[in-house]
Amino acid sequence: MSRRAPAAGSQSSLRDANRNLVVETVKRYGGLTQVELSEATGLSQATVSTIVRELLAAGVVDTATTTRSGRRAQMVTLARRVGLAAGVQIGHRHLRLVLGDFSHQVIAEQTLPLPADHRVDTSLDRVALLVVDLVERVGASLDDVVGLGVGLPAPVDASTGMVSVRGIMPGWDTVHIGQVLSKRLGRPVYVDNDANLGAIAESTLGAARQYSDSVFVRASYGTGAGIVINGQVHRGVAGTAGEIGHVQVAFPGELCRCGNRGCLDTVVGASALIDRLRVSSGPLALRDVVQRAIDGDERCGKVVAEAGAMIGMVVAGLGVAVNPQLVVVGGELAETGELLLRPLREAVRRNVLLNQIAPLEVVAASLGSRAEVIGALVLALQSTALPLRVDDDQAAVGVGATQ
Amino acid sequence: MSTANDVPLLSLRGLGKRFGAVEALVDVDLDVYAHEVVALVGDNGAGKSTVAKMISGVLVPDTGLIEIDGETVTIPTPIAAHALGIATVFQELALADNLDVTSNLFLGRELHRGRVRDDETMEQIARKVLRDLNSRIPSVKSPLSTLSKGQRQSVAIARTLIGRPRIVVLDEPTAALSVSQTAEVLTHIERLRDLGLGVVLISHNMNDVRAVSDRIIVLRHGRNNGEFDAATVSHEAILAAITGAPSTRELDSRAFLPTPH
Repeated sequence: MSRRAPAAGSQSSLRDANRNLVVETVKRYGGLTQVELSEATGLSQATVSTIVRELLAAGVVDTATTTRSGRRAQMVTLARRVGLAAGVQIGHRHLRLVLGDFSHQVIAEQTLPLPADHRVDTSLDRVALLVVDLVERVGASLDDVVGLGVGLPAPVDASTGMVSVRGIMPGWDTVHIGQVLSKRLGRPVYVDNDANLGAIAESTLGAARQYSDSVFVRASYGTGAGIVINGQVHRGVAGTAGEIGHVQVAFPGELCRCGNRGCLDTVVGASALIDRLRVSSGPLALRDVVQRAIDGDERCGKVVAEAGAMIGMVVAGLGVAVNPQLVVVGGELAETGELLLRPLREAVRRNVLLNQIAPLEVVAASLGSRAEVIGALVLALQSTALPLRVDDDQAAVGVGATQ
Repeated sequence: MSTANDVPLLSLRGLGKRFGAVEALVDVDLDVYAHEVVALVGDNGAGKSTVAKMISGVLVPDTGLIEIDGETVTIPTPIAAHALGIATVFQELALADNLDVTSNLFLGRELHRGRVRDDETMEQIARKVLRDLNSRIPSVKSPLSTLSKGQRQSVAIARTLIGRPRIVVLDEPTAALSVSQTAEVLTHIERLRDLGLGVVLISHNMNDVRAVSDRIIVLRHGRNNGEFDAATVSHEAILAAITGAPSTRELDSRAFLPTPH
């Protein structure tokens, strides 16, 4: 968590800055106790308490009594009426949607199976219809939705919200996805890579919450990573940072969708794993490989373990470059638990540069298979600017849906 | 999904059916393995529903064999189909609007303890079945008339799970549903497969078919006209087989022919 110095200047501008800091921090974590808020903001407990009281009176936040390590505490969340946001994950074979509020509470969700190589027009149309349906399901209207976060299994250029590498998602790379959806729904849309969203979710709400530098590895149909440096996702100039699925591991190796040879995805991607099992186990879906591995099928377990070791080797390289405190592993393959994680962890530990400060930990995503879609929700919430007019017209704090 | 030397759960061999001058089915083959969704697609009148009716004992084939676990069987009535572990959801659902969810699930096969109807056990099983399907139906006591079209389809699919079937036939389960209701039904179909059942899915919607099926079998004018691996086949190749157009593969190979000088 970053510590921000209060802005210099007059007393009232200082108070405004502190108030903003508290709201931003609550928005970032969804819900914190006043003590945690004081730790996260660096403000004194008395200041936090005063600000929370003001914000409560203005209807910006809600408080509820809770317990932290056996003591009574005041949990602070943003008031629900501040608005809703939607998170969408467009996967290779599934569409996932969640609707949540500013406390990051998911209040409705939906999954739709998708065909392989689904078309951009059909899928975006379905996203729009499903978002409207989810909003209606909770008795709200689209006006209550401050924004929509969308995750894609491809590198995304943050400035345009378009897929930045040709060939990875054929048909999708020429479409302005954010624009299509925001035109359709009339709400701001923020598009990002799914591994980056997983990283946002895990570093905000999940396993990496305590750490400022972490890496989220997504082992799924393809492999990717989201890099968090100093609490911020590092995307790179074209959004390809952390695309470990396209690190060369085989020489010369098979041809990859990206145009290079021997990429990690050609060795541990879903089609590579399925092809290896085709002769012995018949044509399986990735879901079957995961389920069979969990059920103790040795062939599937072996394929998953070898994938873990290979991914771990590449993640070790990323570990040397970034020096994170924690590697969080998510994606479908991570549902096999230690079957994937142990060889991955061993490969990371073997190849990373050891230091005397802290060992590099490798853990499973605590948000599980929902990490990416929750990350999409968090992205939409964090990208939304809330108009704060606590001093003058206290009742006028409304929904700010500015892009 | 299957291992190479598995015996299919259900196997149709050379099925034929005539209605007067109409050849509804000619020499149709179909295999369904456990833990697999086989989609049956085709134009109107291609014979999809006729196949479904033969599997579920509504129609008896004129020619051909039906095998279950490799053994030849006859399915003269829907009751016989049920006894063989085959459950079917027809397009028109056949549910009772005035009864609640549990009563609909057990309609015609209510459980009894002694001479008394065992409502408690039925409700327990109903809850379990709906949970197995990840269904979003709030209560097993809601009358059917209060449910949406999609939720009714969920009830109809859940009904097939009563009595532990091994093969489920779904005739156009997503027709006339909204996208979110379709999402529910497709999720149910995935669950049926994950529960180890063999599923025959009849549908017009290529998106839905390619989303959840493992293999796609195309019927055209009552005949087999292609079998595809759903994970790799293109939309166009299936449409070509349905409409009888030369397949894209044929077109591709023509394109590669040397141009005559």
